[in-house]
Amino acid sequence: MKSDWQKSWFTVWTFVRINTKRFFRDRTAIFFTIGFPLIFLFVFGSLNSNNSSVSFNVALINNSSSEFSKEFTKNLQESKTIKVNKEVTSLDDAKDRMSRSELDAAIILPDDFGKVQGNNTYPSGQAQVVYTQNNQSSGAALTSVLQSQFQQINQGLVPTVSPFTVKSEQLNENSLSAFDYTFAGLLGFAIIGMGIFGPINVFPELKKMGILRRLSTTPLRVWQYFVSTMIGQAVIGLLSIAIMFVIAILVFHLEVVGNWLELAVFIIFSIAMILGIGLALGGWAKNERQVAPLANIVVFPMMFLSGTFFPRFLMPEWLQNISAFLPLTPVIDGIRLITTEGAHLINILPQVGLVAGWMVIIYIIAFKVFRWE
Amino acid sequence: MVEVKNLKKRYGDKQAVDGVSFTVKKGEIFGILGPNGAGKTTTLEMMETLRPIDGGSVKIDGIDVAKHPQKVKYLIGVQPQSPAFQDKTRLTEVIELFAAAYGEKVDPMEFLRDVNLEEKAKNYVEDLSGGQKQRLSITTALVHGPKVFFLDEPTTGLDPQARRNLWDLIEQVRDKGISVILTTHYMDEAEVLCDRIAVMDNGKIVAIDTPRNLIQQLLDRGFKKKQEVQQASLEDVFIDLTGKALRDGS
Repeated sequence: MKSDWQKSWFTVWTFVRINTKRFFRDRTAIFFTIGFPLIFLFVFGSLNSNNSSVSFNVALINNSSSEFSKEFTKNLQESKTIKVNKEVTSLDDAKDRMSRSELDAAIILPDDFGKVQGNNTYPSGQAQVVYTQNNQSSGAALTSVLQSQFQQINQGLVPTVSPFTVKSEQLNENSLSAFDYTFAGLLGFAIIGMGIFGPINVFPELKKMGILRRLSTTPLRVWQYFVSTMIGQAVIGLLSIAIMFVIAILVFHLEVVGNWLELAVFIIFSIAMILGIGLALGGWAKNERQVAPLANIVVFPMMFLSGTFFPRFLMPEWLQNISAFLPLTPVIDGIRLITTEGAHLINILPQVGLVAGWMVIIYIIAFKVFRWE
Repeated sequence: MVEVKNLKKRYGDKQAVDGVSFTVKKGEIFGILGPNGAGKTTTLEMMETLRPIDGGSVKIDGIDVAKHPQKVKYLIGVQPQSPAFQDKTRLTEVIELFAAAYGEKVDPMEFLRDVNLEEKAKNYVEDLSGGQKQRLSITTALVHGPKVFFLDEPTTGLDPQARRNLWDLIEQVRDKGISVILTTHYMDEAEVLCDRIAVMDNGKIVAIDTPRNLIQQLLDRGFKKKQEVQQASLEDVFIDLTGKALRDGS
């Protein structure tokens, strides 16, 4: 004879097994839990990967026919820092585009640029950088970039002595890139998608069809139903997040320095905690109309203040102090600290504690407000 | 097997169920009839542990429903008015899930065979017709071997063939010694299927007996049908007891 405890877990396990199978038969569900976050990953990932190096969009208007100017144009077009828009050939067109911020500046080479003047043995000329008021900093930066390039050229043409020079050196230490912040935020977004939007869409539907009510005539307990949902979501969530990691590492060169096991444990707890919010909202609501406004009130602050789409350190300090206590904030911070800074669970006790605290509060509420119909 | 005493339920200022008492024996099909709003479904739901009981008591196999709802759930099987299942679930999995809710592992094919659905075993539930869903639902309600089986308007919306098929199934359940309690709006169904019926109106039971006796009692009071002398259907009894006025929601 099986003990009551074994029977209880047999119930939970069977629900997990069959519901997980059902999930993988449902293409829409797969798209929204796995595909959707990936789309965001690609969009935000490629937005951020440009930020790592500075570049200028410029127009190059060459009015000169000299060999030197041709050579110079070719070199400029191959440069990574300066992106030359080849469509633009006239100054008027360039001005027009600058006013729309399509271009940062225009470089004009006058008709005598690169010609040998008078008795000189070497070519000379003056390039002109044109920029609008709004683009003063890029204009100035571009001028100095060109200046240093000309200096190198000048050195080759007319050797001079340079008593003072500057040498820059890149440190080999890791610093957080914008993508590291974005990626942790996107994981937070994926967890919200699974944990909150999943239950609040499914539960009202199950209630409307009377499926939960039918279950309530069986000895099935609310905790068994919750735990089986939790295990199922954690499995699917880990899978979805693992795929995001693979793509982040392969495509966006994410470097994971933390311990994978600790990361998985932290993510499972985070999914369980956030799922509690979905269970509370979906379990309470009688229908879709009831749940939608409440879900928005709960989800939107987390979406914008917890560091999902832009890092919290950009916010004013008072807002950071408040948003630090939102349930999703320790999740995103914790994931980022483990992944990119190599923190161990013991180092992120504030985050772990906050997740645990929210877990207790959220599940007490979820059990209290749950309705089978 | 089932003992209902002075059962009461109040919604706001409406007394939905007003002192209902009856008993159902082992292996008996007991029908509850009545117009919409008479309190049939509420009575059933209180017996099924779905609604809190305001007053009176329900005992199933000697166990008080209000005091030990969890124990009672092992003794009852419930067929909802419109059975629904989650999409993308195979029939065998539906049986497994419901058995698991009782902590039991069963052979799903055996239960599908009982209701003639073994050929659909690997199909998804959304491929079933209305009648097939009803049959699946009945067999899921019996996976744990209950002693009492509740059905709320089981044949509403089914075609005549599916209805008769369901009557056969319900009789088979009764023949296994299970007490069956059902509600219905169809008088022919009650007349053919039910061993005894209770007619409810305004939250009270206004008559309780076998269909044959109820018809005889009406005839004894001098009731005559306009065209056919000495003949009356159960429908006549029903209308005589509860009046002709159209009710809310009907």
